[in-house]
Amino acid sequence: MSEAQLFEELAKAVYSGDDAKAVELSKKAISAGMDPLRAINEGLMKGMGRVGDDFSQLKIYLPEVMLAADAMKAALSILEPEALKRGGSAVQKSRVVIATITGDIHDIGKNIVAMLMRANGFQVYDLGRDVPIDELVKKAEEVKADFICASTLLSTSMPYMEDLIALLKERGIREKYLVMVGGGPVTREWAASIGADGYGDDGDEAVKAAKELLQRRVSQ
Amino acid sequence: MTSIWEVIDRTETGTFMEESDFDLKVVAKKCKDLVKEHDIRYDPKQIITSDNSLADDVFEAGLRLALEAGIYCIDTKRVVRFDDYELKEGIISAPRRLLIGQNKDSRILYARRIEDERAPIICGGQAGAAIPEEWYLPMSISYMKEPLIDMINNGGLAVVEGRKVRTKTPLEIQATRRELSMLREAARRAGRPGISLLAAESSVSAMGDLAIASDRYMRRTDSHLVALLNELKTDYDRISKVVNFYEYGANNVTLVDPIIGGYAGGPEGVAVCFVASFLLGRAMYGSDYHVCHPIHFKYMSTSAPECMWNLSIVGQAMARNAPSIIMGDVWTSAGAGSEMVFYETAANTITNVVTGSHPLGVSATNGKYPHASGLETRFMAEIAHAAVRSRLTRNTANAIVVELVNRYVDRQGKPDIGKPFPELYDTAKVIPKYEWNATYLKMKEEISQITGLKLS
Repeated sequence: MSEAQLFEELAKAVYSGDDAKAVELSKKAISAGMDPLRAINEGLMKGMGRVGDDFSQLKIYLPEVMLAADAMKAALSILEPEALKRGGSAVQKSRVVIATITGDIHDIGKNIVAMLMRANGFQVYDLGRDVPIDELVKKAEEVKADFICASTLLSTSMPYMEDLIALLKERGIREKYLVMVGGGPVTREWAASIGADGYGDDGDEAVKAAKELLQRRVSQ
Repeated sequence: MTSIWEVIDRTETGTFMEESDFDLKVVAKKCKDLVKEHDIRYDPKQIITSDNSLADDVFEAGLRLALEAGIYCIDTKRVVRFDDYELKEGIISAPRRLLIGQNKDSRILYARRIEDERAPIICGGQAGAAIPEEWYLPMSISYMKEPLIDMINNGGLAVVEGRKVRTKTPLEIQATRRELSMLREAARRAGRPGISLLAAESSVSAMGDLAIASDRYMRRTDSHLVALLNELKTDYDRISKVVNFYEYGANNVTLVDPIIGGYAGGPEGVAVCFVASFLLGRAMYGSDYHVCHPIHFKYMSTSAPECMWNLSIVGQAMARNAPSIIMGDVWTSAGAGSEMVFYETAANTITNVVTGSHPLGVSATNGKYPHASGLETRFMAEIAHAAVRSRLTRNTANAIVVELVNRYVDRQGKPDIGKPFPELYDTAKVIPKYEWNATYLKMKEEISQITGLKLS
């Protein structure tokens, strides 16, 4: 199998959520002396890119996206250490801490955003639902996150998003993080009014906004 | 019926399971398998299908899902299951007729049939929205004073006496009581003191609900929503709401809002999940009726074609196999003040009334902005009554709905969100302003021509 063929098979394994196949192909790539970083970028990431595209067009659904993310994670556990061993640097990923905020247990929207961010190469720490703001901040500090993302379906949990930004300011660490907010009742105008850095009307827009924010930060 | 005591017992003794396993290995897998097994297919050209066998397949698959999956209790990580006898007992005992409201304002809310020729019950209000406290009263009056609106489901309060309401704080109690007080006051001012309410939207946890079980706020001829969480899940907050209303005696209503693209899969899996949710809602919550609210993963709106197909097929599946009272939500991408809101409202409403549900709306902008008023809900009522008067068949209704969809579907991603209530209405007199009324008259004429329905 040529390198191009193997990378394509790897992409297909990720797309179909076949973690055993993704691991097998990753091992094959290493034993054949292929560049693990290229296998990640031209195989795994390509597969996840297709997953994101097809999900946004409702050709596939959340369970398939989750399975694909699992397959990618399994393959990365083989390819990433090998990349490091060969003297390369670890794959640089932007870190995202995400949660459904205090008082709210509706998490499917947050799950979709988390999955799409993973599909787009972000390292996502999903803290779950009904998460107090200080836990979000604590985790962000611990993993040196780039983003803190908060979601809610309840208008009565939106004030906690304001509290989150206030807490970051209070601790003098507001500038360390890009804060994104979203969810059913959250509007672009409201996000701007509380001083959030980004907002997404849906999962696709959230990912797009995150990428733009990151680019802006890098170019500053 | 399974008693609420037994339900609580099962939340403590049911099979233990990790939530992610329930989501993926139970709900996602079973929905996918059942859709395949029953060969259920969504056809965007047949939003309102006349295929009875498809409706029956959806029902059969939904019943299987209800039996095999059960409901997951998040707090205990246990699955509450009901056997075939219990589910069918729930179907047989489900109310076909309910008296709602009081005195001259009372109505009979009933289980609609497919192509039912009876006038539907119109439930008006911007359900799901956070409405500013200072507009809440006049906005509610704008719905109550519309004679075609039979009952009210308006939004909740996110601010009370200038304080932002946070979930599970004392302000949730204040907000829920204030919501009910203002709805009662609006009903009195509109001369409809007995109008039935589907309310307590400010109660996102059980706290608010517990605080309004009194004739001063919520009467026994009123109703409140108890959601099933996505998908086929519940928690002790929801069950506490049920327990409270069981004894109090007002109506429990299952709010079911599965997400198209979520754990249940595409439109077909969501339809199966809907039927299972209604059957389980009846068995677990003892629900008196249900609200059908398919959510589009991108646009939210129930007026999206995939969502209307769900309203249609689920309404038909239930009407043919488990007659129940179902309110079908009318949530539009566009806001009041726009022209687009009329196309969406017309398509969504026709779909509902022809296929077994009563219309509930208009929740313009999906409740994201308080850009709503009584006028577009008057239009919803006029469309609903005209569709019934014209005795629309499913086939004719489908052609109309597909035609209407063409006029807005490309704009659902970037809709015209219209204007806030005070810009649309004279809030002192509570009458539509000239411009908004002119838009209504223009669109009413245009949609009458498109649909062939006499809307006067």
